[in-house]
Amino acid sequence: MKMKTLKISLVAAAVIVTGLISCGKEEVPPPPPPPSVSVTDSIEIPFSTSHYTFYSLKDSAIVNATDSATSQWDFGILFVNIIINSHASGPGNGGVITKMGLFDTCTTAPLSGYSYDTTSTNLAIDAGLTTGWYNYDLNTHVFSPKAGEYFLIKTADGHYAKLEILSVDYAGYTPPNPTPDSLIYTFRYNYQADGSGNF
Amino acid sequence: MIQRILYTIFAIALVSHASAQTKQVEDSIPKLLDEIVVTATKTENKVSNIPLPIQVISAKNVQLSGSQKLIDILQMQTGLVIANNPLGTALLGYPNPFGEGIQMQGLDPAYTLILVDGEPLIGRNAGIINLGRIAIGNIKQIEIVRGPATCLYGSDALAGVINIITEEPVKNQLQLQTHYATNNTLSLTGSGNIVHKKIALELFANRYSSDGYDLDKNIYGKTVDPFIDYTANVKLIYNIDHKNKLTLSSRFFRETQFNNYLIYPETLPEIVKGTTEETDGSLFALLQHRVNNKVSYASSVYATSYSNLANAYLQKNDSLYEKIQLTDILVRPEIQVNIGKHLSSLFVTGAGYNYEHINSTRYKDVNDLNSWYLFVQKQIQWKSKTNIIAGARFDKNSLYPAQLSPKIAIAYKFQPRFILKGSVGAGYKAPDFSQQYLNFTNSLVGYTLLGARELGNGLQMLQESGQIDPNININPYLNEKNLSPEKSIGVNAGFDYTLNAHAVVRVNFFRNDISNLIESYNLPFNKTNNQSIFSYMNLDKVFTEGMEASFTYNFNQHFSIFGGYQYLIAKDKEILQKIKNEELYKRDPVTYVTTLVTKSEYKGLYNRSKNNANLLFQYNNILYKATAFITAKFRGSYGYSGLNGFQNGSGVYDDDREMVNGFVLLNLTISKKIGYRWEAQTGIENMLNYINALLMPNIFGRSYFINVNFKFEK
Repeated sequence: MKMKTLKISLVAAAVIVTGLISCGKEEVPPPPPPPSVSVTDSIEIPFSTSHYTFYSLKDSAIVNATDSATSQWDFGILFVNIIINSHASGPGNGGVITKMGLFDTCTTAPLSGYSYDTTSTNLAIDAGLTTGWYNYDLNTHVFSPKAGEYFLIKTADGHYAKLEILSVDYAGYTPPNPTPDSLIYTFRYNYQADGSGNF
Repeated sequence: MIQRILYTIFAIALVSHASAQTKQVEDSIPKLLDEIVVTATKTENKVSNIPLPIQVISAKNVQLSGSQKLIDILQMQTGLVIANNPLGTALLGYPNPFGEGIQMQGLDPAYTLILVDGEPLIGRNAGIINLGRIAIGNIKQIEIVRGPATCLYGSDALAGVINIITEEPVKNQLQLQTHYATNNTLSLTGSGNIVHKKIALELFANRYSSDGYDLDKNIYGKTVDPFIDYTANVKLIYNIDHKNKLTLSSRFFRETQFNNYLIYPETLPEIVKGTTEETDGSLFALLQHRVNNKVSYASSVYATSYSNLANAYLQKNDSLYEKIQLTDILVRPEIQVNIGKHLSSLFVTGAGYNYEHINSTRYKDVNDLNSWYLFVQKQIQWKSKTNIIAGARFDKNSLYPAQLSPKIAIAYKFQPRFILKGSVGAGYKAPDFSQQYLNFTNSLVGYTLLGARELGNGLQMLQESGQIDPNININPYLNEKNLSPEKSIGVNAGFDYTLNAHAVVRVNFFRNDISNLIESYNLPFNKTNNQSIFSYMNLDKVFTEGMEASFTYNFNQHFSIFGGYQYLIAKDKEILQKIKNEELYKRDPVTYVTTLVTKSEYKGLYNRSKNNANLLFQYNNILYKATAFITAKFRGSYGYSGLNGFQNGSGVYDDDREMVNGFVLLNLTISKKIGYRWEAQTGIENMLNYINALLMPNIFGRSYFINVNFKFEK
């Protein structure tokens, strides 16, 4: 099951609309805005599988697990662990920088300084219980991605994106089974197709 | 904050002092504070002579409530709140294996010491002692001391002490009680006292059973499974001569609970049935010897054992699914010497040795824990108006650094009717066995929990068996790391003001600073199945502060009223620091807008109510020999992590969408004497039918009971 809510960002849409209006009024057309795509998406990570669920930021789609050894995917999720396509995790050229601050005010990604997964258990994105990217309540088992934390991602093919995980929910309660089958990850990201680090 | 509290107290004191001068000064201390208590000083003394916040629940109030459950009586008291272990509530309507305990001054049940006749109950399950282990039919009184009592009682007494004092046989007596209530709950109690010359014997027995109940029909199995409890107590007092008294007592309790629930070994559910058996027994011998009119001593041996045995079988083929067993044994010889002529100027000293032995399926080895302790306490009466108690206890344990816990308490009587009280004390809580020795791998998810002392050993085993990547360097973790005890400093200050012979107002401000709180953490590497490894370390610092106030008013022989209120703030200091450093963010779950958490948004620790209030109203009709007894408890709103799936990424209680609404529990009992020996009681508990199956699985809706009591004295 995939619950997709792909949408062209309102910001991008607004820019296009104001651009059209501007065209009528001004003599010199402004330079075309950078084609940064803003996406909010949800993917399901089942508990039953032992392999990562792979995702392509360019296509805003899950990549088939059989393509795990390709550069078609940018990141993968298994339970709370997140891998980036490069080095120990895949053939890609990816990397990640974990940032603290406000996602919205981040306008540029640096072109270097990205970390990668050194071994299969030493990942660039810290998924530790207290140190990692989420809060986990040992008592209620609620996961909540730490607010203010987001990732600058270099994709497998060398493009830049900023990504924030918005929520992690349990799903797949099939009565009478009260234990969930999967986690639903909801995240948003901006992907820059022109190869620059500007969002 | 402490300074502010003190100023407030002085201000109130001055006002009260001024107003009192216009009234006639009474010479004697009014009777309301004349109850004799033992918990606060380990010697008998009047409440009014003790500079500590102490509360007494009398046998009469216990009897008038008609209740059979200690926890129901305790939760009706000022500032005492039932805290379900959140691990239990997280099971979403499943039987809560940890039960519920009492939160005192905003601290979890693990931080309150539960004593029976001054000796501790052992066998905490996730920090909680099942209070159902204490039958209430032979309680003489319940004494509640707030604030650290570690200086006398050692570990666990950070928030305070609840001491259940059982009856002493003083005359020939036979008592029988039948209690029948909703959910086919039946309690049969019999007790007999025989007093013959120098020997007094008390026998007590209780059988208590219930069908349990189910608050969520959509979930297989009951919320509370059916159970049967048996309790037997024997107490023998031999007054050898006017100088020597020997007390022998024994307590036995067994609860069998009949479990029936679903498990999910793979994706298909399986029915599991079985029993959980909790057994608790103790033997106590005490010899009190009066050397002369100045010196007396008491030597005692307390031996207690607790075991919890759970067997679960798959229904389809009767094969054993799981067996969990825990046995805990404590033997404690102790000697106490009292020197002094007057109750208010005693010097008390004592020493003891704890031999504790624990054995569980979840610990690798059988573990012994030996410790010894020494305590001293001096009471001083100075110029008839000031009472001072200074004391300290030294605990030496093989597992963690020695602990010195001092305490000082001062009471100043402006007038007999107005007593100012203040105390400062240190408390500690030893790391429990699971935090030290647990070696547990969750079979469903695959994570591993290792106690601090088991960490090196456990990691080596995991790496040898290939569950940790051989390239990971586990060496930094192989050296045994000691957990330090959790420590607290508790300050209590307030006053008792007696308006007249019928009315008293008591106010206490408190502040508890806890450091070294033991929390679980995960190691920076995972297992090869990518699951985390957890262990324990000393991490957090929290504080709780607030005010407890109560008033008693006995209008006349017909009416009396008792009311109480607690205001509470409980916060994590590290969170406050993060907010100050602008490092803590929250994300609106609807708009996804991220902002910094402000100091005013942070409401404090989860599961703490800012406001609590309680009311007790008693009406006696002498003509009809009938009594109406009404108790009410208001628990204000509190935070619950992840309520209704709410998450804003801050990890703290800072949003109203995590707020559980407050509620009121209201109970009514009517008692009527029939002749000299018989009494009938009937009552309604939870009249307003408050139910919250998810968060308060211990509260059944409205329920009814009838009691028939028989008492014969000679």
